[in-house]
Amino acid sequence: MSINGLEAVQLSKSYHVDSRQIVVLDNVSMTVQGGSFVVVEGKSGSGKSTLLSLLSGLDRPDAGTINLVGTDITDLSEDELAPFRNRTIGYVFQSFHLVPSLTAFENITFPAELNRDRQAAAKAKELLRRVDLTKRMNNFPHQLSGGEKQRIAICRALINSPQIIFADEPTGNLDSVNGEIIMQLLLELRRELKTTLVLATHSREISSKADSVVRLVDGRIENSSEKVNL
Amino acid sequence: MLHFRFIFRQINGSRNQAIIFIFCVALSLLILTSLGGFSSSVRRSMLQDARQLHGADITVHSHYPFSEPLLKAIHDYEQQGIVQGALVHKFYSMARNSRTEKSILSDLKVVEKGYPFYGRVTLLSGREFSEVLKEGAIIVDQVLLDRLQAVIGDTLQIGSALLTIVDVVTLEPDRPVSFFSFGPRIFIAAEDLEKLELIKKGSRIQFSYLLQVHDSALVDRLAEELSASTVKPQENVKTFRNADSRIKRFFENFLFFLNLVGMFTLVLAGIGIQTSLYAMLRESEYTIAVMKSVGATNRFIVIHFLAMVMVLGTAGTFLGLILSSLLQLYFPTLFAGILPANVTLAISWNVVFEGLVLGTIVVGLFSFLPLQRIRNLKPSFIFRKEIGKAPRGILSYSAVLLIVLFFVGLVIWQLEDVKIGLYFMLGLCALIGMTALIAQGLMFFMKKTTPRSLILRQAFRGLFRPGNATRAIIITLSAALAVIFSIYLIEQNLRATFIEAYPPNLPNAYFLDIQSDQKKEFADILGIEAEYFPVVRARLLSINNKPVNRDQEREKKGDNMAREFNLTYRDVLLKDEQMAEGDTLFGHMNNELANKEVVPVSVLDTVAEIGDINVGDLLVFKVQGLPLKARVTSIRTRTESKVRPFFYFVFQEELLKDAPQTIFSSVRIDRAQLAVIQNRLAATLPNVSVIDIASTVEILAGIMCKMSSIIQFFTSFSIVAGLLIVISSIFATRMTRIREAVYFKILGANYSFVVKVFTYENLIIAFSSALLAGLISHVGSWIVCRQVFSIAYQPLLSSTLVMIAGMLVIVVGVGLGASVSILQQKPINYLRDERQD
Repeated sequence: MSINGLEAVQLSKSYHVDSRQIVVLDNVSMTVQGGSFVVVEGKSGSGKSTLLSLLSGLDRPDAGTINLVGTDITDLSEDELAPFRNRTIGYVFQSFHLVPSLTAFENITFPAELNRDRQAAAKAKELLRRVDLTKRMNNFPHQLSGGEKQRIAICRALINSPQIIFADEPTGNLDSVNGEIIMQLLLELRRELKTTLVLATHSREISSKADSVVRLVDGRIENSSEKVNL
Repeated sequence: MLHFRFIFRQINGSRNQAIIFIFCVALSLLILTSLGGFSSSVRRSMLQDARQLHGADITVHSHYPFSEPLLKAIHDYEQQGIVQGALVHKFYSMARNSRTEKSILSDLKVVEKGYPFYGRVTLLSGREFSEVLKEGAIIVDQVLLDRLQAVIGDTLQIGSALLTIVDVVTLEPDRPVSFFSFGPRIFIAAEDLEKLELIKKGSRIQFSYLLQVHDSALVDRLAEELSASTVKPQENVKTFRNADSRIKRFFENFLFFLNLVGMFTLVLAGIGIQTSLYAMLRESEYTIAVMKSVGATNRFIVIHFLAMVMVLGTAGTFLGLILSSLLQLYFPTLFAGILPANVTLAISWNVVFEGLVLGTIVVGLFSFLPLQRIRNLKPSFIFRKEIGKAPRGILSYSAVLLIVLFFVGLVIWQLEDVKIGLYFMLGLCALIGMTALIAQGLMFFMKKTTPRSLILRQAFRGLFRPGNATRAIIITLSAALAVIFSIYLIEQNLRATFIEAYPPNLPNAYFLDIQSDQKKEFADILGIEAEYFPVVRARLLSINNKPVNRDQEREKKGDNMAREFNLTYRDVLLKDEQMAEGDTLFGHMNNELANKEVVPVSVLDTVAEIGDINVGDLLVFKVQGLPLKARVTSIRTRTESKVRPFFYFVFQEELLKDAPQTIFSSVRIDRAQLAVIQNRLAATLPNVSVIDIASTVEILAGIMCKMSSIIQFFTSFSIVAGLLIVISSIFATRMTRIREAVYFKILGANYSFVVKVFTYENLIIAFSSALLAGLISHVGSWIVCRQVFSIAYQPLLSSTLVMIAGMLVIVVGVGLGASVSILQQKPINYLRDERQD
């Protein structure tokens, strides 16, 4: 496997609601080559978001292992995962998840400052210029439109030049025009930075642009092959 | 119709805020009822048992032997069987144990048979007072036995008499506290009075005639008739109903001050009620919006949430009453040493009722604005979670006005003094207003500040997250802390000036009642150089022909013009005096002065201020029954506030040297040597009283410290109000804080980063509050020390640092304690909830 890729082996995850067990992912394995664009496609409730949260180290699987850019993150503690996430991963969420008390500029610089990057401000300004939001840099999230928020979120995801970006329904909260703009931007920047992109969506249109697609149905990968080599 | 299940589910859904709300209501009830209970207990024992406190129905007081007409009137009533009388003499004198050769200044009470007519003097032996106190016998305080190393059966020399200790007094109905006394009590039978040979001209003796009136309906009429026979103003007739007492005055003043503290805490608890209710309703905003969107009217919603407030208010009220009852159990320990012996502490139903009514009004007033706010919430809130700004219409202004009027009324009612009530409210508004203004400035600065440190920057940003009650917290904590710390600073500065730094050159022993013909013998016994001051006792009858209103003067909280003054004569200023007005002490001779119709007098500025006396004013004194007209020729001031003798009124020597007088002397002497001199004086000049100033000041300092700690104890409740707002604010912003913590973690921050951000945020709040409190308390204490007490001010920097550190620890501790569950949140849990939402 490429050093900047991802390998997940036999991942399972279930939740308990009251006394009921809900299996969200069942024995899922996949490998993602470094620099590729992979779409995890599936209907609502199919387990896309859960898979992304496991792959990105936001959650732990009940079973299975995850190797991300050469590091087995399965058993890393939260405090070990935090700096790893900061340097290696970028996130783009459907709900943007910008820190409300920080300006657009501060939201972008935040991960870089955590990484003690002295160039944080310069990089953030460059990214803002790139997404055409320089004029909005001092605005707080509640002063931005949905499309603007997502562009800021993309800048934030990219500031530390991560090896892999996880994007969970990044256009889900946007109208079609803004959704198209965001997707173009995301793909452009990914290409420029040669970053791996793992994107969850239910949109066939977006899937069509991917290097490869993983289809999830009820927590399982749809094709019979348990290991998808992409 | 009310939906009770809905109400209880709403409470359950916002249970953290509900608990804070209940605690805030409980806190206000706790303050109202515990202080009210304490006040009414003390007042009840002082007023309801007023007969006991005075030992009689009618009491006649004088500092001189009673006049013939008065004595005749009393004897007539006695002979007619209308009253029964008992003469009581009170004065200080040295008591010397012949066996141990130790002596002590004692508070003597020489009583005739019948004393006390009401109440009971309790003795250690359990025997009846009247059966024990016979000729030749004395009953003493345990303190006297301890200090003189005496035992029952020992003989004490008091004046010229040798009297035997027969019992120990444990409770005196007309002296419920003993800390006003310079020495321990000794009861002496009236039959031994002559043998003492201590009643001399000019001696400071309090003559009291206690009268029991057999028909209580006659009390007022007899008092009036007796009053007509008195020599005014030296003889004073009072009934148990209108009699004043120093103890009563002391407790009135003390309770007055505690009431001020109570009002202050109540205001802060009110802010807590409002803040927590705002937070609680904010948690219900979504529910309210949904209810409105399906057709619920504002009336329907307000009624339900009002009912919720009432349920919580009732719970808080009962909790407050329970806590208040528990606190009463602690009062005897808290007030130990200054609590009257006959006080039974209990919360009366009246106090409970009063507390309930006031508590309900406080809850109602402070709940009005938050409830009003939910009327403004639009159904569209379910789509865009925004709410209009709090309404600023006539209703909200009326609510604020009502709150102010309520507190003004409450303060005036509690303090029973319109002027002081208004001053207090103005002061309180100034304190809170000033705190709010500085807090606002600080917050503006913090908002504009962008520290380089990422953690610090996040902490600063956190202060302004929506729902954060940062300003309310800073105002409440700093105002509360400013009051507590000011009391501490003033007490410490007084202590530093008068006790710890007792200057080595100042006199530490006072000798009172030296007769003129004893001066040489006294000087021989003393053996060292001393200052001597002639003392002539007199009362002030009028100022510029306007009679001194005795009743009005006695109502004054501080010193008054109705008491007996010690006049002196000399032609020079004392070491610590300087002229404030006038060129010389007695001015320039004019016709009036030359004709000796009016004599010149120099007045000290402090008494000039109390009596509104100016240079040129005409004062009329009564000296030993004779009027003395004096023209104010100068006003003196003291250059330092130290324990040094001073006199309000100074006359020329030739005018007073023939008046009946005693000599007062002060000296700096070694404590061990003082004990020897005390013994020698007790043996040879027993009428001379010795006051060990250093030890007296120490006792006073002890009482001061005790009172200060009591006031601080009650003021600390206001800190609790502030801390409750801290917790409420954290709960109110729980979701935002969780979101921040989750975002920080997702973006690569570790646990310690998040803890640091929250800690720094609390540190900033605590530091700002402490700094603000320090600033206000230092300015306030400086003004009080310099302007009121005229003493040097020490800023006590180390104490200030301890205060700041204490504040940091408390706020950070409480803040982090309330944030534990937030810090433990895993990012995925939040994200999952968010997705479901």
